[in-house]
Formats: sequence, C-alpha cells, structure tokens
Amino acid sequence: MADSDISDNEPTTRTLLRRVLDTEAPRTPRRRQSTRAGVQRTPLGTPFSMRLRSQTKTTAGRQPHRARSIGRLAHIQTRGQLKEQTPRTLLENILLTAPESSMVMPESAVKPVPAPQVVQFSRRESSPGSLELQLPELNAPTTLAPGRLTSGRRKKRLRLSEFQQGMDQGLPLSQGPVTEPPGNTGASSLSSSLNLTFATPLLPQSVQRPGLARRPPTRRAVDVGIFLQDLQDTSVATALPGDRTPVATLPTDTVLEDTQPFSQPLIGRSPSVHHSLPYPSLSAERTVSRRTRSSGPGLQNNSPGKPAQLLAGKAEEVDALAMGFPNTSSSTSGEDGVEPLLGGVGEEVEERMEESMSLSEVKEAAGAQASARAEEPEAHTEVAEAEGSWGAIEEKEPEGSSRDKDTEARPELASSTPEFPRARQLEFLEPAPPTSTAVGLFRQQFIPAPSLSSEPLEPLSARLPTRVQTARPRLRQDSYKMGLSHYAKLFSFYAKMPMEKKALEMVEKCLDKYFQRLCDDLDVFAAHAGRKTVRLEDLELLMRRQGLVTDRVSLHVLVEQHLPLEYRQLLIPCAFSGNTVFPAQ
Amino acid sequence: MAVAATISQRKRIKRKAPRGFLRRVFKRQKPHLRLEATCDLLVHLNCLLFIRRLAEEARTDACKTKCGIIKDQHVLAAAKVMLKKSRG
Repeated sequence: MADSDISDNEPTTRTLLRRVLDTEAPRTPRRRQSTRAGVQRTPLGTPFSMRLRSQTKTTAGRQPHRARSIGRLAHIQTRGQLKEQTPRTLLENILLTAPESSMVMPESAVKPVPAPQVVQFSRRESSPGSLELQLPELNAPTTLAPGRLTSGRRKKRLRLSEFQQGMDQGLPLSQGPVTEPPGNTGASSLSSSLNLTFATPLLPQSVQRPGLARRPPTRRAVDVGIFLQDLQDTSVATALPGDRTPVATLPTDTVLEDTQPFSQPLIGRSPSVHHSLPYPSLSAERTVSRRTRSSGPGLQNNSPGKPAQLLAGKAEEVDALAMGFPNTSSSTSGEDGVEPLLGGVGEEVEERMEESMSLSEVKEAAGAQASARAEEPEAHTEVAEAEGSWGAIEEKEPEGSSRDKDTEARPELASSTPEFPRARQLEFLEPAPPTSTAVGLFRQQFIPAPSLSSEPLEPLSARLPTRVQTARPRLRQDSYKMGLSHYAKLFSFYAKMPMEKKALEMVEKCLDKYFQRLCDDLDVFAAHAGRKTVRLEDLELLMRRQGLVTDRVSLHVLVEQHLPLEYRQLLIPCAFSGNTVFPAQ
Repeated sequence: MAVAATISQRKRIKRKAPRGFLRRVFKRQKPHLRLEATCDLLVHLNCLLFIRRLAEEARTDACKTKCGIIKDQHVLAAAKVMLKKSRG
C-alpha cells in the first residue's frame, strides 16, 4: 500500500482521493476508494481518526478500546467502507459474526479484520483487483474465521467486533468465489458465501426455538384414518346435524349431497343413492345404531324387548330393501314398519333419522310425543313424506298398540325432522329416491313436489293434532302447578306444623291470586313511571307499599336475610378490587 | 372477578329461585310487559316473604283453635288477611 502521509493534519476526502488517484490511476472510482481506504491505513490526522472513531462508535456501539487498538487504519477503512456500506451488508455481517467477541484482540487479527471488510465491499463492487491488495492480509483472518464459526453462537455483544468477525467469516469464503471467474458479481458470490455461513447459524436457532421447528408430517396420515373412523362412529352414535360429511363410504356420497342445501334434482341423486345401496352393511349398522338410539327414547313407551327385534328386523329390511309394508307391519312394532320405509327411502334418510334421533332424544325423553305431534302439522316436507309413508304403514297395520308405536315412531321422526333446517328437508327429498319398486313409488311421490306428498299426509296430520291438543294444556298446567307446589313446600316448612293436603292446595290457590295481584301492581307501577319494563325500583316500591320495606328495614337487608349468596351478589352492588363494582350500575 | 370465584365454590344453591317459572308466569299475565334481568329474584324474594307471613298467620290461627294441624280454613283465613295486607 502506498503510504502517502498527508502533510496536513486534517486530511479531507478530497485530498485522499487525490492521493489515491495519483498513486493508482487505472481504477474505478469505487476501487479508488477502497484502495484509498487501504492506502489510508497509515494513521492520519487525529481529527480524522476521531471522526472515524465516532462513526464506528455509532455503528458498532461501545468499543473504544478496539477502535484505538485498530487504529485509525481500521477506522478509516470502516469509514470508507461505511460509505459504500448499506444496512443490508451490515446486517449480513452481524448475522454472520459469531456472538463471542473478546475485547482483547490481537492487533494482528484486528488489523486484517478491516481488510476483509474492505475486501468484501470492494467485491460487492465487483472489483477483484482491490482484493488482491489485501490477499496477504486475509490469511490471518482466515484462521480466525473458522474459529468464529465453530465458536459458540451466543448473541453478539459488541457490534463492531461481530461485524469484523463476520467480515472474517465472509472473507475466507468469498476468497474462493473471488478466485473464480470475476464475472460473478461480488454480491452474488458474497451472498453465496454468506449463504454458506448462514447454514450453520440457522440450525442452532431452530434448536434453540423448538416452536419454530416443523412438526413431523407423519402424524397426518394416521390422523386421517382415525378421524374417519371416529367420524363414522360419531355419525352412527351421536351425529350432529353438521357432521354429515364424516361418514365414510356409502354415507359420504349421500351425506355430502345432503349437506348441499340446493342439491340437484332427484334424478341426479338416484344414481348416488343406488350407489349407496350396495352398502347395506353400513346402512344396517347405522340403522341398527339408530334403532338402538330410537329405541332408547322409545323405551319409555315401548318395551325394552322391542329394540332387539327392531334391530333384527331393520337389518333384514335394509339388506333386502323390501318395501313390503306388510312384511314390516307383521314385524314387531310400528317402528319396524317405519324402518323399511326409511331404508327404502335411502340411507341418507336413515342417517338423518339417526342424527335427528340423537337430537330429539332429550325431547322424546321429556314426553315429546305431544309436542312432536304438535310439530308434525308444521308441514315439513320430510315430515310429510315420513308421515305419508308412516300413514300408509298405519293403514295397513292394525291400530291400537301398533298405532301407538307408530305415533311414537312418527313423533320421534317428526319431531326430529322439524328440528332440521329446511335445507335438510330439501336434501332429504332430493337424495331420497329409493331403489326398490315400492320405494320407487314413494320416491315418485317425493320427487315431484313436497306438496303432493303432503296432500295424503294432511288427513294424517289432521289426526295427530287432535291428540296433541289434549296433551298440551296438561303440560302447561303441570308446569304452573309445579312452580306453585314449590312454594307450597316452603309454606309447610315455614309453618313448622303438620299440614293437611287440602291446606296445601289452598295455599296454592292463594299463591295464584297473589301472583296475579303482583303482576297487576307491577304493571301499574311501570306504567306510572312511563316504562314498559319492570325494574328494580318498581319492585322496591311494591315491597314498600306492602310494608315489607320500611325506613328501618331496607331492601338490601331483606335480600341479605332471605336470599342465598349467589342471588345476593347479583342484587346488591358490591365493590371489588380494581375499582370495579358488580353488578354494574 | 370475585363474583365468579365465589360462585364456583358452591355450585349447588340450596334454595333455588324458579326464575324460569316466575318469568313465564309474568309473561303469561302481562305479555306486553317486560321483566328486567334480576327483577325475578326480587319477585322470588317477595313470594318468600309473602309465604312466610302466610305461614305465620296460618300457624297462629291453628294455634288459636288449638289444632295440631294446619287446616285449609286456617289457611283461608290467613290468606284473607295477608292478601289485604299485601295489596300494595
């Protein structure tokens, strides 16, 4: 390097440039700078070095010792490089550098460090010539670079040191590409070299952060199989209405079709149904499971022995696809009679019934017979179809016990069907077409329009509501009576004396009158306040007028005395931590 | 906050208020009116106090007639008095 000391103590960029130009002519401006930087290794004026020092400080942070050790040479170089440097290169270097950085660095190592930096930047500028100048200096850092790489990957503490280390790492790698055809841009080769360095540090990062590591994909395959299995089971057992898709083989086609709210006409569906038919086992399973399910709630009404029969009969029917109602009617119960119809209609129906059964289980358990019947006249297409089919079965079957079963089965199914959304009904209709002839007749009934099928059902539905009406008022009275009896029990507790049953009935009558009065009073109070909602103030006013709340006894006192803690907390505002009040006012 | 914490400790309330029943009764009687959220609890409180007073009254009547058992006439008499009192 040409050491052309500047006479003046304050070397400016201009002077430096001039010097460089004088020394080496055939160079690109960039190279000139790099060479200038190399040339300027010799210590320059103190102000210049100080400037560099400050610059390095700003970039690298604290490293005064280092700066001094490096000397102005490094500073100058860094400064010169900083000019060409971009944040990108800086970051790259920082990433490359090993975290470890010792404050005490041999000057021999330090000095070459800036040289690699210079080399790197110069390379970026595609100036291999400049590198040549510093090749001899690179040898020293090369030994250091591998050491840096192999050293721990702790976080860098001093930017400058890491930066220089990164330069060391980058430089030895870049040496290869440098020797290669110079056509490669410095950046590309540098990037390639950088990539090499990147490889090693990335691995430990993933190890350090296991969350970033990717999970083994093998899990997926197993899950799918199990998932399908579970789906099948769930569809059989407690299939939700939305879980149609899970059913695997036969159900898949039909179920998927079912889920489409606006599915194709039945004609299009028939092949799918036909396709689904050759899987009687699955349908049988489902039907069996459904039967168990339906028999579960039906147990309340039917004898427990029936489910077995139903299951057997159902399986047979499903396999045979025999739509002969007499066959089914001759079987044990009306449910069996219903079964063949359903089986004929399609597994989808069965599936739906399963799901509906699962849904309507609770309902049925609650004595939903009446309610189901009430819902039947809702003119759901499905209900209409089912009822029509059931009605046909009914006509054939003898009334009486079988009718009861039919009604039970019908309400079950009917109640289940209304629960489904309209889309389901449409789906039911469309994929319905059964294969057997008898079923085909029904299908023809179903396909054209729900209204047609509903027509024959109307008389049937008309029959049902009559039964429902008788049952309904009973429920209402029961619930009301139950509520009153709840308070009557409290009366007997408060009285602390034995009571007659007539007395309890009298108490219930009194309570009834009391409730009526209470509602009237609250209505008057709310209207007086110009409100349509009864509020706590109305209640308090009522109690005050009744004499329960006085100036001595406040409402809160009464609440605390007679209500359990949970209700007290809801009624009486209390302050909690965090400057909050519950309930909010 | 603390409310939730305390409630979780005791999930089973011993003397539960039939909130649904009360709301239903009120709705049946006055369909054009609306009941606020916690008002039904106060209605329940009102009922409790009414029944308590009714029971006290019936007990007093039964004791007056020196009867060991509360009969419906005692209850009826007590109810007459109470309904008058809780006229509002």
